[in-house]
Amino acid sequence: MLPDALPPPDVCCLGLAKTFGSGPTATEALRPLDLTFAAGQTTALLGPSGCGKSTLLRLVAGLEAPSAGHVTIGGNSPAQVCARAGLAMAFQDASLLPWRTVRGNIALALTLARQPADPALVERLIALVGLDGFGDRRPAELSGGMRQRVAIARCLAAEPRLLLLDEPFGAVDELTRLRLNFDLPRLWEKRGTTTILVTHSVTEAVLLSDRVLVFSPRPASVVADIAVSLPRPRNRDVMATPAFRDLVDQASAALWAGSLAGPLAAE
Amino acid sequence: MIARAGAGPRALPGWVWRWGALLAALALWEAAGQATAGRFLIAGPSEIADYLWTNAGLVGRALAVTLQAATAGFLLGNLAAMALACVALLVPRMAWLISALALLVFCLPLVATGPILRVLYGAGTGPQITLAALAVYYTTYLPLLVGLRAAPASWFDLVHTYGQGRMAELLRIRIHAAVPYLVSGLQIAAPAAFLGAMVGEFTGAERGMGVLTIRAIGALDVPGTWALATVASGVSIMSYLALGALGRRLGTHPRDLLLAPPQATRRPPAARRALGRLGRAVGLIIVVLLLWQGLMEGFGLNPFFAKRPADVWAFLVTVPEAAANRALLLGAFAQTMVLAVPGYLAGLALGAMLAAGVVLVPGLGAAVLPVAIALRSVPIVTTAPLLVLALGRGATGTITIVAVMIFFPTLVACLTGLRQTPGQVMDLFATYAAPRRQRLLLAQVPAMLPAFFAAARMAVPAALLAATTAEWLATGIGMGSLMALTASTSSYAMLWAAIVLLASTAMLAYAGVELLERRVLRVYASEQRQP
Repeated sequence: MLPDALPPPDVCCLGLAKTFGSGPTATEALRPLDLTFAAGQTTALLGPSGCGKSTLLRLVAGLEAPSAGHVTIGGNSPAQVCARAGLAMAFQDASLLPWRTVRGNIALALTLARQPADPALVERLIALVGLDGFGDRRPAELSGGMRQRVAIARCLAAEPRLLLLDEPFGAVDELTRLRLNFDLPRLWEKRGTTTILVTHSVTEAVLLSDRVLVFSPRPASVVADIAVSLPRPRNRDVMATPAFRDLVDQASAALWAGSLAGPLAAE
Repeated sequence: MIARAGAGPRALPGWVWRWGALLAALALWEAAGQATAGRFLIAGPSEIADYLWTNAGLVGRALAVTLQAATAGFLLGNLAAMALACVALLVPRMAWLISALALLVFCLPLVATGPILRVLYGAGTGPQITLAALAVYYTTYLPLLVGLRAAPASWFDLVHTYGQGRMAELLRIRIHAAVPYLVSGLQIAAPAAFLGAMVGEFTGAERGMGVLTIRAIGALDVPGTWALATVASGVSIMSYLALGALGRRLGTHPRDLLLAPPQATRRPPAARRALGRLGRAVGLIIVVLLLWQGLMEGFGLNPFFAKRPADVWAFLVTVPEAAANRALLLGAFAQTMVLAVPGYLAGLALGAMLAAGVVLVPGLGAAVLPVAIALRSVPIVTTAPLLVLALGRGATGTITIVAVMIFFPTLVACLTGLRQTPGQVMDLFATYAAPRRQRLLLAQVPAMLPAFFAAARMAVPAALLAATTAEWLATGIGMGSLMALTASTSSYAMLWAAIVLLASTAMLAYAGVELLERRVLRVYASEQRQP
């Protein structure tokens, strides 16, 4: 672990826009967007498939160059933050290297982050995501849920202050997904990270976050900004409360209303 | 695409690299020709053009003859390949035997089968057509078989839910799934057919490109040798591109790369696997011996040149001179292996290293790939005389020919393999701003290994072909020379013994590399295996 734990950064998007291609075939993925993600908060981006929320996440990670506007993470550019291993991203599929073991995949993050190898840390992370005894297995031998947990452990290894989660539980069955939703936030809540989560599950968005941003269909714009002030840890009891159901209804309604404004409404 | 803030030079468009490289190569070639004028080494583009202009009629007629034989062989070989693949598909229990026999025939050294076919057929185009067919059927059979099986299980379940059987599977699904694989097989087959026809002509045909080539080498006619090699290469590249265009008209993307066909998902324990392998090897040997004997007797071939298994056994083991025969054979074999193995390894290493180096420069990889694919189709063996002219008759010449023969297919396979690194894995490296070198070593090179081993497997017969042809045409040592010599002195028992030895060596080496490949695939491509 790093001796000088930095505070989590805020993320500012100013006039951020992204268009793929050019000319008549150009696709406007993101309209100019002003957004601020508060330091230390978990924000869920909720929207229909293909609305551009993943593009927004990739812009924040510096994986795409914006067509207009810019992103700052704690005042720095994404490239600067990447170079200091200040952020980590979890992808839609676990994206583990099939030739590395669970241990090797988690340790990879330390290598890439130019941090010294730390076998003890790797073991702690394996235990943290509940994969004791699986350290020497290769991804092909694991279930989908286990692979996602390895991916999350890899994300946490280099102690990033910004976590970007792109539908990390999309390919996991409902029950496993719920368990991951209950268990995994504890891992990063304690560390004080800013987290941005892309999902199209309304329940997951409310369950995991402090704030839900609902997007319209492409090109994305924010149609609702919902604060979620439910107690933590979030578990089945929290899910049973009227407040939780209210928030889910609110987000669903916004999602539905937003989709009516989109191209499907013309049909 | 990935945004790389301030990383390296801007990628140039692909066509700039391609045309620039082509012009530079032509200029370099011409300069080399001018510089070495009078030393019987290199003929520049202008000399070649001059030769072709003055000998247009001669070369044109020879090309027509060779093209005719190559086309006939191409059609016959591919029809045989399709029939074999369908049989292997419909009788799954026999698939391994059919594949093994197909591989064995592919591993027969052309240098020896050529003269034997010549005595069998007498004058005419029979040997050329047969060798062309033999050169192509395996490169079509293998991809086709993979393609016929390359459909997800759920598609077959769909067919079955409507109460349809194997025929519907074949007609509605398998044939369509196999088209891209078939096209890529045919693409490789077209230049191979041309190569086979030329090698067939080396063995004493009256007309054709092969005959002209032999004459040009004999007369130390440098512009002629270069011009003929250029024409052969041009024809090969054009046939490759034409079939690729045909494939695109059919709406398919040819597969540039084929991994070993997957095995059963449930693997029996190691001991049983080894036993099964041994059983199959013994079964294969018995079947081959029976077929060999049966074919010879069935066609009533003259035992003077059509030796039977017992003749070869007697020649190597029981006759009084057996020890001398063995010594001669093994001596030549050692000479060949000493050159073929380093050439094989050098070709593989250079291909893989260049592929890895090329992706370090942005944009270069995408530009080099089509050039490498085109050059892969050059029948290197027909250019062997040039390399011998340039490098001399020593070990370097032969090693270089083998290495060059293997280099281009390896380069293509590795470049394709490097591109198959999953995009999200590259994104992962980007989120840590990992340097290019690190991406290459930790992600791309491991992801390339399956492709590398697929190339290494297919390169085994190619290496032996290149080595023996070089020895036959130029260096005068080793198995190639021994086979050519025994064919001309009618000591056919030695020739058959040489065939047995070379074919079994190729089979064993192929099987060994395939074993390695499967291990690699299990670890390195466990998620991207074809169904």
